[in-house]
Amino acid sequence: MREVSRDRIKAFLTLLPSIVLIGIFVYGFIGNTIWISLTDWGGVAALAEHPVKHFIGIQNYVDLFTGFLEGRFRQDMVNAVFYSVSLLAGAVGLGMFIAILLDRKPKGEDFLRTVFLYPMSLSFIVSGTIWRWMLAPQGGVNILPTYAGFKPLTFKWLSAKTTVLAFNWQNLLQIGLYLVAVITIIIGFIVYRNSRSKSVKWLAIGALSGLTAWIGGDMLPKALILEEIHGFNLATLGIIMATIWQYSGYTMALYLAGFNGISQDLHDAAMLDGASTSAYYTHIAIPMLKPITISAVIILSHISLKMFDLIFSMTGPDNAETGHPALNMYLTTFRANEFARGASIAIVLFLLAATFIIPYLITQYKQRRTR
Amino acid sequence: MAQVKLNNVVKNYGNVKVVHGADLLIDDSEFIVLVGPSGCGKSTILRMIAGLETISGGEIVIGDQVVNRVSPKDRNVAMVFQNYALYPHMTVRENMAFGLKMAKEPRDIIEKKVNQAAATLELGPYLDRKPAALSGGQRQRVAMGRAIVRQPDVFLFDEPLSNLDAQLRTQMRMELKKLHLQFKTTTIYVTHDQIEAMTLADRIVILKDGYIQQVGSPIEVFERPANVFVAQFIGNPPMNIIKGKCTRVNGAMTLVAGDLSLQLPEDKYQDIAEGKSVLIGIRPDGIKVRDVEHRIREEWRKEATVNVAEILGGQSLLELNISNNRFIAEVEGRMKLHPGDKVTVGFELDRVVLFDPETTEAIA
Repeated sequence: MREVSRDRIKAFLTLLPSIVLIGIFVYGFIGNTIWISLTDWGGVAALAEHPVKHFIGIQNYVDLFTGFLEGRFRQDMVNAVFYSVSLLAGAVGLGMFIAILLDRKPKGEDFLRTVFLYPMSLSFIVSGTIWRWMLAPQGGVNILPTYAGFKPLTFKWLSAKTTVLAFNWQNLLQIGLYLVAVITIIIGFIVYRNSRSKSVKWLAIGALSGLTAWIGGDMLPKALILEEIHGFNLATLGIIMATIWQYSGYTMALYLAGFNGISQDLHDAAMLDGASTSAYYTHIAIPMLKPITISAVIILSHISLKMFDLIFSMTGPDNAETGHPALNMYLTTFRANEFARGASIAIVLFLLAATFIIPYLITQYKQRRTR
Repeated sequence: MAQVKLNNVVKNYGNVKVVHGADLLIDDSEFIVLVGPSGCGKSTILRMIAGLETISGGEIVIGDQVVNRVSPKDRNVAMVFQNYALYPHMTVRENMAFGLKMAKEPRDIIEKKVNQAAATLELGPYLDRKPAALSGGQRQRVAMGRAIVRQPDVFLFDEPLSNLDAQLRTQMRMELKKLHLQFKTTTIYVTHDQIEAMTLADRIVILKDGYIQQVGSPIEVFERPANVFVAQFIGNPPMNIIKGKCTRVNGAMTLVAGDLSLQLPEDKYQDIAEGKSVLIGIRPDGIKVRDVEHRIREEWRKEATVNVAEILGGQSLLELNISNNRFIAEVEGRMKLHPGDKVTVGFELDRVVLFDPETTEAIA
């Protein structure tokens, strides 16, 4: 037998156990969860020895998004979106800002780096508890101004009832079309520099969906029979703050490693080309670290979609204002024994995470092929 | 375009002094090459002129402005780096336009200038490529294009050719020279390669351990090196240096080294003290083997034994034993000589340089 094929067999045999295990415990279980989500497993006899399951197609999913009783899930989804977007903007922005400050090589850089990275090492339960105390209505953050002689704050960080950016879930289709319009138009403008014809296509799609949403207005099919208002609950601000606090050190470490990897000559060349320090970062360093930004966005969006323990420890599992699909999944599956419904929430979360990861994997794969 | 003046420029890193009071006047549109071994301070001087290193003492003047405290971007200098330092995420066009963009030039003017520079450097077909998709030589051109478009007062080059292969280096060297003839911008060029120094420079500055050893035209530093270091650093193979003495033989001032005695020309070194020890410097190409009878005076012809002969193609290198002194000779043509062969060699003694053995400085 030739050496190469023997090596291949050895490699295959070495990998086989993990392939089998991953096949069963990851992909097999994902498949099983998808199957469960297509049944009606749940209700009073859900825990029977041989529970009755009927195949009901995508009814669970339809109910989640348009069912009369699943308003809580929809609020959780809206929370998750606002939570993810805020976390991304906050943690990436703050992490990048701290990394830039540390990249200027201040005194005690090593020490500061450890200080900023430290929150990462805490368990969410611990940091959640600490933040719950700090954000208590009559303590912590709210009494800070009193040290400077001002009145204490009265904002209820974890239990505010105010909702901003509210919208009616009935108009889901219209909102979706507007979103598509905004995104495609932005893509159209980005693509404009490289290819005019592609750009025109994107802009056309954007204009079309925007017009449909605008002209269609009330004539578009409604997602629900009744008005259902959702929005950005200010009660989630405390949770967002805590997560940003915990993760900006991590993005800082990513960016700092990236900045350190940029050669001094490139910095010098930019200085000689007349770039100010801020121009160096905006035109050279940050665009060069696009792969790091993409990784950070994927990792953080992932974490925010799966977030469970931090919210659990800060506001408990069933506080409606700060709900999250992952908590909802837990409650639906293991408290209400609605296994099929819980499975469908899990799959929705899985697909959401996949929308972030799959395009990334595809571009990575393509890049590797072209190399 | 501008004059550059270094007045007693000093650079310290903590307690370590790396440049010891360098004085240098670089004329407008002059091509100056700073050359020296690693760690001689040549790059540090260049970076101080660029403003990338602070100046510990003295002053640097560009045009009529003291630039000690002027930031790099306000010095109107452009620099080409050894590893090119191209912005990897930008296309060739964007790389070249970046400096102009930072200077807030109008778009159409940027476009025009970039296209002009691209035409000069034959980069037209590559303008929309990223640096990763270019060869080493092309990247080098882009780096030069980026410097040219800004029309700076001074070009600074930091070993720009050392990452290229030998053939490309020769080609780019020629192009650099042509570019300088075309733009006539004051140029300061750092290299450790003495061939680059010899071919490109109007004047060469030779540095060692942070001290300027000699400043002069390529021929000056080649023919009249200021000290033994310069004599051996410039020229390949380096100058032959042998220990000897000056004595008068039959009234004529004569160099004696072991069994070798060579009469000095009548117009050179005649007032040297009798019996003074000297180091005798003779360039390898100052030892002739062909047509010696016609070219060299009789008293400068000697018998030599060949130790080793190396044929380089156009010329040959010979290691010779001449009256128990070892010399390297660089002679024309392919000399098919074998170890032990006897030849008559002639010394071009009108080109001899004598050094003081104690100070290693050249004797006037």
